[in-house]
Amino acid sequence: MRVRLPGLYIALCVVLAGLIHIAAVLTLPMLAPRDAHARLAALGPANKMIQLPLPAPGRQVMPLMAPDVRYAICRYDLSKGPVRLKARIADGNWLIAFYTPLGENYYTVVGGDLKRPDVDLIVAMSDQTVAEVGVDSPEAFDNVVVVNSPVEEGIALVRVPLTGQSRSVEAERALKATYCGAHKGSNQSSSP
Amino acid sequence: MTALPDMPLTGAATRTSLWREEGSTSMRALGYFIGTFAVALILGIGTAWYMIERGSPLTTMSAGPWKSWLSEGNPNADPYTRAHLARSGRLPLTSTAARYFVSRTDSWGHTLSSGCEYSVVGLPLNARWWSLAVYDQYGSLIPNPSNRYSFNSEEMIRRADGSFHLNLSRNARPENWLPSGTGPDRNLVLVLRAYGVRDTDISGIGQIPADRLPKIERVRCE
Repeated sequence: MRVRLPGLYIALCVVLAGLIHIAAVLTLPMLAPRDAHARLAALGPANKMIQLPLPAPGRQVMPLMAPDVRYAICRYDLSKGPVRLKARIADGNWLIAFYTPLGENYYTVVGGDLKRPDVDLIVAMSDQTVAEVGVDSPEAFDNVVVVNSPVEEGIALVRVPLTGQSRSVEAERALKATYCGAHKGSNQSSSP
Repeated sequence: MTALPDMPLTGAATRTSLWREEGSTSMRALGYFIGTFAVALILGIGTAWYMIERGSPLTTMSAGPWKSWLSEGNPNADPYTRAHLARSGRLPLTSTAARYFVSRTDSWGHTLSSGCEYSVVGLPLNARWWSLAVYDQYGSLIPNPSNRYSFNSEEMIRRADGSFHLNLSRNARPENWLPSGTGPDRNLVLVLRAYGVRDTDISGIGQIPADRLPKIERVRCE
């Protein structure tokens, strides 16, 4: 019996370590207090396009942000209906990526794949009907892409990679012209 | 009557010694159990931390000093990648839109330090846009007088054979100079990001062959 005891403790230790390991891995995403959504929520209200400050030492919103990419975010909230996102992309390098609060990149618009420079998106949950409100004509609605969000609250992140250090101002001006706001009821929309 | 006081006495004596033995055995068992639990806790948390922070062959692709989390940002990612992402506080693109390669060491496995000078040599990547940036170990940009934090595909000066030579050092160097900052020595992290990789596999994941990733050679240390 005494000979077997250390073996028993070792087996117990391995099983326990495995359980603790699994529990730690599974609970960490929920326990991380400074995830990207929490960092971005501190920047401003939902359903509004917010340009992130130029990545510079001590002024980064998220770690490992690209210093040569200009960013704008729209933290969307679909509880009151779908959200509209419009942008006029200046070059094929633009990327508009959609995330859940856990950082899952569920959809991405790649600028290089687009035929037109105008991007018109309606973000809606699958159970929300997207009416052709605020769309000029049925033909115009053909150019609108409906993004099915798996979550009520999420993040749209626009990336503009710079093609030279002198392009920063240009990129910021283009980002300023992007719009994010409530889709239904044009009177609700804030200025772009 | 005379035997009676003896009986309980011996009985009591036997019982106490038994108790003492039982007590010491259970104390030892408790000690073993606490010890086992403590070791299990260290092992469990330690392995979880390592696999979340540094990755493992299950979740990451390694090529020389470069590491890449394959399912980062993917909604169907494994629990390790999810935990890694939540801890990092970043919003990366999935590997179909972009590839990220992170290096904390030179090509020989020595930790990158601002006290040393490095030569990063490579060929342009087959992507729409790519960039090589340096950070401190916490992912923050490093202050420097020339406000230079990265070189991208449009800025990198190339040699006649198409290759680029980037100098990662404290003091100004010719060609592409990426400053690693003044002040006390700090550990460095290099991030190579490639947006719109042109070669993809059947699932659309951008493919960058391991031999196309830059080599990081240590030139000298102070």
